[in-house]
Amino acid sequence: MLVGTTIYALINTAILALMAIGFNLTFGISGVANFAYGAFYVFAAYGIWGMLNLLHIPYLLAVLIAVLANLILGALIYRFVLLRVRGQALSEVIATFGIGLAILELFSYFGWVGFEYTLPVFMDRSFIIAGTYVDFQRLAILGFSAVLIACLWWFTHHTSIGLAFRGIAQDERTALTFGIDSDRIAMLSVSFGAGIAALAALFIIPLGSIAPGEGYDVLIKALAVCIIGGLGSTGGVIAASFIVGFAERFTDTYIGSHWTMIVSLAAILLVLTIKPSGLFGKQKELEERI
Amino acid sequence: MTDAPILSVSELSKNFGGVRALNQVSFDLQPGELLGVIGPNGSGKTTLVNLITRFVKPTSGEVFFKGKKISHLPPYKIVRLGIARTFQMVKPFYQLPAYKNMIIPLYSPRMRQLAGGHYGDRDAMALDLLEEVGFERDAHVAYKTAGALPQGYLKRLELAKALALQPDLFILDELFSGLSLAEVASIVPIIEKIRMAGKTIIMIEHRLKELFRIADRVIVMNYGEKIADGPAEAVMEDEAVKSAYLGTEAG
Repeated sequence: MLVGTTIYALINTAILALMAIGFNLTFGISGVANFAYGAFYVFAAYGIWGMLNLLHIPYLLAVLIAVLANLILGALIYRFVLLRVRGQALSEVIATFGIGLAILELFSYFGWVGFEYTLPVFMDRSFIIAGTYVDFQRLAILGFSAVLIACLWWFTHHTSIGLAFRGIAQDERTALTFGIDSDRIAMLSVSFGAGIAALAALFIIPLGSIAPGEGYDVLIKALAVCIIGGLGSTGGVIAASFIVGFAERFTDTYIGSHWTMIVSLAAILLVLTIKPSGLFGKQKELEERI
Repeated sequence: MTDAPILSVSELSKNFGGVRALNQVSFDLQPGELLGVIGPNGSGKTTLVNLITRFVKPTSGEVFFKGKKISHLPPYKIVRLGIARTFQMVKPFYQLPAYKNMIIPLYSPRMRQLAGGHYGDRDAMALDLLEEVGFERDAHVAYKTAGALPQGYLKRLELAKALALQPDLFILDELFSGLSLAEVASIVPIIEKIRMAGKTIIMIEHRLKELFRIADRVIVMNYGEKIADGPAEAVMEDEAVKSAYLGTEAG
């Protein structure tokens, strides 16, 4: 049982990381906390569902269109809404949350809820790993999540352009001084974040079904992981996904599934009490703030 | 002095709320000139720089660079035309080594334009530029974390970042502030070298002695207005300038 739980905890870690990494990318580059992130996730999921089941578009094409649509939606929201409230964190949060709410409640209005609203798995097969059944979809999530994070980490830490992006994240004045259009970079960061939300939905939704409520769920999980890890830090997302991922699965197996949420929240509280800016956070520590 | 001016500032004004921070300031700058801008604290020197580079939007007035109007362009486009500035308060990436701080200017759109898509070894370029501003190569100063460097080196780093953009006009905002006499003495030759390369320079300074040694011309600001404009010796004889600096009414 221990081995099985560990395998599923690892997969849970990958799911959490995949949910959080897009939100984290946006915040890490431009400092925009995109509270419409969960809505982007659900928007892409319904988009792919609609294209497959109502318009009968081939799978890969539907995926491509959905990712592109999310990239464009993210850019448009930055260009027409966020640009006007840029730099005022609270306004950014309210604006993006409002947009997310509108998108999600629109889907609720259509009443697209039920088990038939799901996306196909990549391959309907299971494997036995160390005596535990694991389906191909979960392995795909594990692999994709690892590859995506590795790529993003490599980009932001080991390519000079990525370093420059991180530099801009730290100081807009510097960006402008060197002729870099910081608004364009910020727009790209929101756009990429939305694109990653679409990919996350593509991998994770087949495990369950699409529902407007998923949007809130994904947003809360992404926030939890990012806050524990330290907003904007890729290493932090990995570490926090492990903490929450393992805490959830092990509580589920050894204590009881109704304790899952409580234990994860306790983990968040504990981390924030000891390190208020998150495990890898670069915000000022409490002593420095006073 | 019959050349077309490289920079032309025309009746530039800025209001912050009800405060007139800059009032109808005009001047022309010839290519290759080194202009000093001096004045008491709060006289509008940095506002002037912010308006030229458009980090702050002017209330009225126009700025022309090489004959082209730039006062309506966003700051990043002005940089791409060939104006580089430094800041009084330096903000390097403290956790990165000094030479890695050069990455942003070396990968900037202006560099891409100039290099025509042909990149060299950026780290080598960074090290060369830093050596040019006095980071001793033998002592491996360029590899030290920016956070570990004294103020003098941070100011030089700021200068190297501006140099990396290969601008035609340098605007240096209080480059000498916070530096010791020896540090200033070591930076002056770097500025003279930039000037000998035919570049135009505007220096905002409080360190008058050092500035006057290198400036061709000085503008004196007080309460947001230009009160004098000319060679250093002439300007310092001006009654209005004397009273601005001594804080007494002339006459």
